[in-house]
Amino acid sequence: MPDLYIFKAQVGMFDPVALYNQNVCIHYVQNAYYRKVDFLEAIPPFQCLDVGAVAATTVSPRTLIPNLAMPDNEFGLFRWYPIDDAQIRLFHPSGMAKWQLRNLQVPVDMNITNRDPNLVSTEIAVWEDNRPAVEAINGHAFALGAVRIIAIGYRFHTVDLDKSDPDLVKALKSGAQPCTHVWASGRGIGD
Amino acid sequence: MGLLVKDEIIIPGPIVNLAAIGAAAAVVIFTIPILAGQLVGTKSVKIRRVNLYNNAAGNTQVVIGIGVPCVALLPALDSLNGLFDSYGPETDLILAEAFADITAYPVALAAAASIDIQIEVEICG
Repeated sequence: MPDLYIFKAQVGMFDPVALYNQNVCIHYVQNAYYRKVDFLEAIPPFQCLDVGAVAATTVSPRTLIPNLAMPDNEFGLFRWYPIDDAQIRLFHPSGMAKWQLRNLQVPVDMNITNRDPNLVSTEIAVWEDNRPAVEAINGHAFALGAVRIIAIGYRFHTVDLDKSDPDLVKALKSGAQPCTHVWASGRGIGD
Repeated sequence: MGLLVKDEIIIPGPIVNLAAIGAAAAVVIFTIPILAGQLVGTKSVKIRRVNLYNNAAGNTQVVIGIGVPCVALLPALDSLNGLFDSYGPETDLILAEAFADITAYPVALAAAASIDIQIEVEICG
């Protein structure tokens, strides 16, 4: 099943992590939801958030991204980049640092489009309304008029397998049937 | 997705006639797109080219900025009597970004004369 994996890299728009009738396991914090995709569509690039003006050498308040929230039973797969010169720290969900190393929470800035043109490393998934949040770091000695983020991705509608097809879920857990694992949150250090 | 590296699209603004001098008499030469419920996100513009046509206004300068009275975004640009002046990126213009409507005014004008101005901007966002 070569088409079933996350963090795909290729020229142009990235591929979805699952197609119609394929199985996914959505991990959200410590929970795992086994589901089957019954609808998907691409989401063109759009401005999902304007953090707003950020004063010189200041970090913005943590700002939720409600425009990335998904309806019930759906998850979104997004890659993103900022178009204003701030460093962006991502939190997903809003209380949990994303891209947390031992000594550093890795930020994303405008250079991501040069350093990672496919935006592979920015890929996140959003399960239902558990949307992420960001902090914008303005390192300049002047204020930024706005800090805007562009997102691009996919929308997946899914049906629950845990109740409707427990035998299939057993097969997915054992690896007897293929399943794409999608992580829709960060993970705390030491968890 | 590498095509996303350059986000901005260059578009021309309207040709606007400047017939009154001074910052308080500045007129809007480019409006930031806003349309609640349809247009998504905050737009900004970066001025990439300024075209000036001097209608026998005498040798003067034009100031481009935001608001009325106009607060300059760029150093004043020369406009020579009866001539067309064009200022482009890289050599003539510093890169200024505006989040509000762009306004302009001439510093001085000969009697009953004016300057036509048109700018090209990168729409960002």
